[in-house]
Amino acid sequence: MRKLHPASVAVRSVSRSVNTGLLFFVVGIVASPGSAGANLLGVGGMVLVGILVGIVYEFAYYERFRYELTADTFDVTSGVLARRDREVPLRRIQNVDVRQNVLVRALGLAAVHVETAGGGQTEVTLQYVGEGEARRLRRRLLNGSVDADELDSDADSAADRVDIGDEEELLFAMQPRELAVLSSFTIDPGASLLGGIALSFASGFDPGTLIPFGLLEDLPGTGLFALAWAVLLFLLAAWIVSAALTFNRYYGFRLTRVDDELYYERGLLQRYSGTIPLDKVQTLTIAESVPFRWFGYGSLAVETAGYAPGQAGARGTESAIPLAGRDRVLALARSIEPFGDLDFERPPRRARERYAVRYLVVVAIVVAAGYLVSTVTSLGGYWYALALLTVVVPIAAHLKWSSRGYRFDDRLLLTRTGFWRRTTKVVPYYRVQAVVHTQTVFQRRRRLANVTADTASSASFFGRAGTAYDVDADHGLEMQAHIETRLQERLRARDRDRSSGNWFRTVSGDDEDTSSTESS
Amino acid sequence: MERLTPRVRVVWLVVAGIRAAIVGGVIVGGALAVSSTGVWASEPDWFVPAAVGLAVVLAGVRILVAWLRYSVWRFEVRDDGLYIERGVFTRIKTVVPYVRVQHVDSRRSPIERTTGLATMVVYTAGSRSADVAIPGLTPERADGLREELRRLAIESEGEDAV
Repeated sequence: MRKLHPASVAVRSVSRSVNTGLLFFVVGIVASPGSAGANLLGVGGMVLVGILVGIVYEFAYYERFRYELTADTFDVTSGVLARRDREVPLRRIQNVDVRQNVLVRALGLAAVHVETAGGGQTEVTLQYVGEGEARRLRRRLLNGSVDADELDSDADSAADRVDIGDEEELLFAMQPRELAVLSSFTIDPGASLLGGIALSFASGFDPGTLIPFGLLEDLPGTGLFALAWAVLLFLLAAWIVSAALTFNRYYGFRLTRVDDELYYERGLLQRYSGTIPLDKVQTLTIAESVPFRWFGYGSLAVETAGYAPGQAGARGTESAIPLAGRDRVLALARSIEPFGDLDFERPPRRARERYAVRYLVVVAIVVAAGYLVSTVTSLGGYWYALALLTVVVPIAAHLKWSSRGYRFDDRLLLTRTGFWRRTTKVVPYYRVQAVVHTQTVFQRRRRLANVTADTASSASFFGRAGTAYDVDADHGLEMQAHIETRLQERLRARDRDRSSGNWFRTVSGDDEDTSSTESS
Repeated sequence: MERLTPRVRVVWLVVAGIRAAIVGGVIVGGALAVSSTGVWASEPDWFVPAAVGLAVVLAGVRILVAWLRYSVWRFEVRDDGLYIERGVFTRIKTVVPYVRVQHVDSRRSPIERTTGLATMVVYTAGSRSADVAIPGLTPERADGLREELRRLAIESEGEDAV
């Protein structure tokens, strides 16, 4: 059984005592003797008590925290008041993340997070262990099997061996130019909105962004012009915050490959690193949003059944490559799942009419809304000018049509959709969980259908599974049968591979399909 | 292709009726509240009747859909997977390979118990087909189907493995 790094008590105490100190500060104020209000000595004393309680708690936490790496499980015993014993089977582990913030990094420590496919929470968190130990754990936890003599007995030498023995192949390092492009064009909606408000307020850009109507006369120009000016300043502030956040998040991004695992590192203030086991990959997503696509860039997301690496709170999948030249993205994607050319079978031409009709309906609604606004309010009399939008309809319909498609490869299905954010999904047949063929009323009229190959990828929760849109309905049924047949074939082929040697790796690798819970 | 027990219409109609009553209650109740409290000082005369009409139309659509659903619903236990066809407006045809079946449930809601029906639910690890449910089965058929799928799932695992 091993313990956390002794220095972790100090680091944890810092953050803990801030919390408990604050709590006892409130308690001190509330419980101050007499009704005369807060007494400085009393409140200070309570804060001190709070900090002491925090430190004592962290020390007890450290004393009672034990973990052990056995031949096939990772055991953790923890808990000061309520005790918890946890055994995580090694073959169920999906990813292992290592996180370091500035303070922790200065002390040579790291936090290790272990994710499995089940449940929405991180399965095990080690705060904190030494950097070398974190590396050793990451390697050993994902290898599935550990040689008996490499178990806990000689951790440090094992860690050294890992560093020397395994050759890391550098797949990708983000170039300053790419980081600059990424930072300038990525919009982090929530953070930049809040940050934009704060920054525009603090820097004196314009407090009027918060309450623009009261301060209109202070601004250059009047009326709508002033409002536009305020909005512009706000957007500028939001953009600066967003760029800074993105820069901090992806600074120093590198991706390496050790055996059959991808390993990434990123972050300026808070350093993240994590692993993506290649044999647990469910789906690859190549996304090329419009500003990036024009500059020849794209991004690659590698989705596993576990929670995506680095995924915290509201953010979805964390990209394997946030931004890189298109060629580099494709090369890396091909090294994970080999696929051929990206020439796609487009939907039938009648699908394009469908999009045109859809956009015409939208234009009609816009014109109707314009008419209502112009009759009810005094704003604008040229509501029929909105009908000029009709000119855009054929172009938009064509772009939507031409950016959709699918392609059957030997081992995988590729689908593509989206003009503004062109998304290419690579779905290996043997990862398919179910094939769904859907036809709305309108699609039925034109004999079209959507065919979705569902996988256990956690990202498809947000409605982004590999879908071939608007294929011919009958062909869609053939596709459905085809995907299912290929799934059975691929499973048989993998079964053969397994029985002819290489048994252990494959077993530990791909049985999360059936073991991962329905919640994934 | 296997059809559901026709009695399942009763279940669907009762559920549709309850839901329509709730939605209609909210719509008509809201309209009555607006007109009686005078929040909107000069609401037109047809305001409350229109709300009632809307509620009736919505209820009608809901009940019609519940009625039509039966004729669309069918399923088949195939060699490699379970095949399901459903959907009144959006037709959905799902194939779930047995290899991917995580576990199978049969369950009975209060309405189903009174009509002597049961629902069978198939779970996969997939994110959008996590629960594929077949309603409107007799309890015997639901249990039989569950056993059959369980057997097929285990067999396919034995041959094709994971």
